[in-house]
Amino acid sequence: MSVRNAILGLLAYRPRHGYELHDAFEAMVGGVENWDLKPAQVYTTLTRLEKKGLVIEDRVQQDGGPEKHIYTVTQAGLAELQKWFSEPVLSDRRRDEFFLKLMLCLAAPDANPRKLIYVQRASLYRELHAITAQRSRVDPKSELAYILLLDQAVMHLEADLRWLDMVESRLDEISRQPIPEPAERPRGRPPKSDES
Amino acid sequence: MSIIKTEQLTKVYGKGATAVTALNGLNIEIQPGEFVAVMGPSGCGKSTLLHLVGGLDKPSNGRVLLDGQDIFRLNDDELTQLRRRQIGLVFQFFNLIPVLEAAENVALPLILDGVKQNDARQKAEAWLARIGLSDRLTHRPDQLSGGQQQRVAIARALVAEPSLILADEPTGNLDSRSADDIALLLRQISEEWNRTVLMVTHDPRIAAHANRIIFLKDGTVVDETRLSSNGHQEEMMVRQKLEVAR
Repeated sequence: MSVRNAILGLLAYRPRHGYELHDAFEAMVGGVENWDLKPAQVYTTLTRLEKKGLVIEDRVQQDGGPEKHIYTVTQAGLAELQKWFSEPVLSDRRRDEFFLKLMLCLAAPDANPRKLIYVQRASLYRELHAITAQRSRVDPKSELAYILLLDQAVMHLEADLRWLDMVESRLDEISRQPIPEPAERPRGRPPKSDES
Repeated sequence: MSIIKTEQLTKVYGKGATAVTALNGLNIEIQPGEFVAVMGPSGCGKSTLLHLVGGLDKPSNGRVLLDGQDIFRLNDDELTQLRRRQIGLVFQFFNLIPVLEAAENVALPLILDGVKQNDARQKAEAWLARIGLSDRLTHRPDQLSGGQQQRVAIARALVAEPSLILADEPTGNLDSRSADDIALLLRQISEEWNRTVLMVTHDPRIAAHANRIIFLKDGTVVDETRLSSNGHQEEMMVRQKLEVAR
């Protein structure tokens, strides 16, 4: 969804062809290491946007070269973009793979949850190390927005690290509690009145 | 050879029923030029470790080897000389002399070591310039910001050209921006000026600047993290060793 809307936004800024869109997206998110968008996704998205009437394609003849496909946003596309701007971005924080791993590790017969925490912590610290190095190379006079993006990543990593410390300090308590199981449901066909 | 090696390093404060074990048979090794952070919950022994490595306190048991030399077999004079020439100390509250100007504070370790006033002053100014404070030479500590005071303290730690810098919560008294600056400076000290830096901190953001983090709990190493990109493989081996040792 966000790639689709980003393409609309980049085209609202000015018309471009597919490859330019890919490069503009990459420049905006701070490089391929932050968000790896495949060129193929740009082209399939453009095809879908064109079918929906949100962008139009112009074929421009180039001197000697193959023709270029330049895309422009339509009024409907601009309206779609405005709709995106008017909606908040919802977070996905409670859907957490590490949490899932931890719960299953606690339930597994031969696993070591403390080690799991250490491996995760090490990985977060490596990420933090790489980002702080990256941040120190960025010029705040021309790339302030990018610094703020990196700062956001740093703050999330700090929060994750603090949370891991909390989990580690309460690991014994957690492991004494039962692993969540689904609530028991009555057997057989439910009575008709419960059906909706 | 490791620049720092501790062997079964143990420190017990007090005696009998009220004795507190701050370090419990700690073994660590640090290579020249490394930037190592020590982390752990309060009371885990991290500051005690730094004090013992810096020769500021004596262990109850075990050894500290600096460049292969057992520092607690030195006599007091030799230990003082080692501290002055081979170790630079950086503290949380800067510990600058309030009545002295920045350059005088930085020159002080050299003057105490018998270096001529002019030579000491010249070296102090050179270090202050290197860390970006050449326009603050004659300011007294109370005329400097916290971040600047800590930079002066770092210049003072570096002025005798020690191979080892020990930093105890060097950003603990700074706002987050100055803290980042100080962490970057410590990284530069190890990367560009090839000094070994051993830093105690409780701040993950600051620790992440190091090349390696050692995690202490109850006076022993419970884990360590290598922050290079291939760190995961190296760590698996270290973890195995720690598990075998336990």
